[in-house]
Amino acid sequence: MAPPPASAVPDAMNSPVSRPRDSQTNIDIMAVTKGFHWPWLIALLIAVSGVIAAASVLAWQTYEGLGVAGYQAPVFWGVYIITFVFWIGIGHAGTLISAILYLFRAKWRNAINRGAEAMTVFAVLTAALFPLIHIGRLWKFYFLLPYPNQRYLWVNFKSPLLWDVFAVNTYLTISVLFFLVGLVPDIAVARDRAVGWKKAVYTILALGWQGTGKQWKAHNRTVLHLSGIATPLVLSVHSIVSWDFAMSIVPGWHATIFAPYFVAGAIFGGFAMVIVVMIPVRRIFRLEKYITDYHFENMSRFILFTSLICGYAYGAEYFIAWYSGVEFEQTSFWLRAFGPYWFSTWCMIVFNVFMPQLLWIKSLRTNLPFLFVLCFFINLGMWFERYVIIITSLSREYIPAAWGLYIPSAVELTVLTGSFCWFSMFFLLFLKMFPIIAISEVKELEIHAKEAH
Amino acid sequence: MATLVSVYELVSDTSNVVRSLKARGFDDLTTYSPAPFPELEEAEDPTPSKVRVLTLIGGLVGVVTGFGIQIWMSMDWPIKIAGKNFAAIPPMWIIGFELTILFGGILTVIGLIAFGGLYPRKLDEHYSPRFSGDEFGVVVNCSDRDVAEVEALMRGNNAKEVKLHG
Repeated sequence: MAPPPASAVPDAMNSPVSRPRDSQTNIDIMAVTKGFHWPWLIALLIAVSGVIAAASVLAWQTYEGLGVAGYQAPVFWGVYIITFVFWIGIGHAGTLISAILYLFRAKWRNAINRGAEAMTVFAVLTAALFPLIHIGRLWKFYFLLPYPNQRYLWVNFKSPLLWDVFAVNTYLTISVLFFLVGLVPDIAVARDRAVGWKKAVYTILALGWQGTGKQWKAHNRTVLHLSGIATPLVLSVHSIVSWDFAMSIVPGWHATIFAPYFVAGAIFGGFAMVIVVMIPVRRIFRLEKYITDYHFENMSRFILFTSLICGYAYGAEYFIAWYSGVEFEQTSFWLRAFGPYWFSTWCMIVFNVFMPQLLWIKSLRTNLPFLFVLCFFINLGMWFERYVIIITSLSREYIPAAWGLYIPSAVELTVLTGSFCWFSMFFLLFLKMFPIIAISEVKELEIHAKEAH
Repeated sequence: MATLVSVYELVSDTSNVVRSLKARGFDDLTTYSPAPFPELEEAEDPTPSKVRVLTLIGGLVGVVTGFGIQIWMSMDWPIKIAGKNFAAIPPMWIIGFELTILFGGILTVIGLIAFGGLYPRKLDEHYSPRFSGDEFGVVVNCSDRDVAEVEALMRGNNAKEVKLHG
C-alpha cells in the first residue's frame, strides 16, 4: 500500500525524520573504539613504560649533557639523526596513500588511508623530537627559527639544515591538516552515535558537520587541493632531508642520486610499516571485511617496486664510487661492505633488496604472516640503511688519523626504543578514540556498488 | 512557508530529485549525504568551490613571503657564505617552495572552515543521524501551495519517506 501523502497526515507535521537504523559499516568500524581488548591494553602498557624509560634517560642526558649518549669525535651524528631520518621516512606512506593515490583515483586506498595518515602524523611527530634531542640543549631549539633578536642576526638560509627545519615543519602541518580534514565527517558519525561526555567531545570536534551539499563541496575541493600540494611536498621532504648529507663533501654523502634514493626508500619503509601496523589491527579488531588481501597485495607491489629502486640506488652508489676514480669514495664504499660496519651494510642489502624479491610470488603477497615478518625485517633494514649512510661515512672521512669507531650507547638505544613506544602509544590511543578506517570513503564505494546492482 | 524533508536510499534518486526540484524553481533546498558524491554536488550547485581562490592566494602569499624574508634577512646582515651572492636566489627556491605549500594548505583549510560553515554549533533542525548512516536527505522550503507538487516530485523519485514541517 502506498504511504499517505505528507500533506494529508497531521501527525507528521512535527515528527522528525529519525529512525533507529544504522549502516553496517558504521557499526563495524565504530566497534573498534568500543569495548575492551586485552591485546590493546597490554600493548599500551608496554608503550607507556617505554616512553617513561626514554623520558627518564632523556632527562638525565639533558642534565648531564650529550656526553652520556657516547658522543665523541669523529661521529657526532649518531643514533638520534639515524632515527630522525628513519621516522621521517616512515611518515611518507600516509601522504603517498592519501594524496598521490587520491589524485590517481586509486579507490583501493580508502580502507587503509586513515591508518596510514595517522601513522604519518605520529611518525613525523616522533621524528621532529630527534633534532631537539640531538642538539642536547633543548631550550635553544628556537635558534633555528628566523626571529628578530637583539644581535640583529638572521639564520643561514643557504644551509640545508635550515631547509630541513622548514621542510619538516611544513610537512608536519600539512599532514596534520590533511588528517583532520578527512577525519571531520567520520567524527560526525561518532557524534551521532555517542552518548554522554563522548558525545559532547565529538560534537565539538565534528565542527558542526552534517554532510550538507555545501559542506561536501568545500570538503571535496579542500581534499583535492591538499592532495595537489601535498604530492610535491611529500617528494620534497625526504629530498631535502637527503640534502643534509648530499650538500656536504663527506665521502659517501656527496651524491646527486640521494634525493630520489631517499624518497624511494621512504616510500618503501613507510609501506612496510603500514603493513606491520595494519595486520595486527585487522586481526584484533576483526576488520577483515574492510582491509582485505587485495589491499595487502597492492601494498606489496609498491614494496617490491620501491625495493628495486633501492637496489638500483645501492648499486649505483657503488658503481659511481668505483667509476669516479676518487679513492676517498672508493675506500668509503669498500669499508661499508668489508669494514667494521659490514654487518649493518649486509643487513641493509639482504633485508631491503634480496628478501623483498620473494614478493614476485603472488601467493606470498597475500600471505599475511609472511608479509608481517618480511615488513618487520624491511623496517630493520631501513634503519640499518641510515646507520650505514651516516656512521660509515662519518667514522671514516679523509684523514685516517681522524678515523674512529662508533658504537651506539645504552642511552641512545633506550631513546630509540622509546621512540617506537612513543609512536605506538599515540597510535593505540587513536585506535580507541577515532575511526581507524575512513567511514565516509568506504561508504562512497559501498553506495556506488549498491547503485550498480 | 512549509518544509518538506525526504529520505532516499540511492544517490541517483537524490541527484534526480534535486535536479527536478531546481528545474521547477525550488532552489531553497539542502541535501544531506553520508559520503561525497560528485553527481550530487553537480546537481545541487555546479559552480566551482571558492576554496580554490583561497588556495591560490595562500600559495602566492607563501612564495612572496618565502623569497621576501630570505632576501630581506640576507641583505639586512650581509655575510659572504661560500662565495655566493648575499641574496643568492637558487637556494631560496627551497624555502620559497615550502612556504608556498604551507600557506596554500593553511588557507585551503581556512576556506573549508569558511565556505563549509565548519564550527561547533547546533545542528540543523531537520538533520538526522540517518544521514550519517547510509541514507540521503533532501530538505526543501516552499510555499504552502507548492507542498503537493514538491511531495509528488519527491515520491516520484523514489523517496523512502517524506515528512512535512511547518
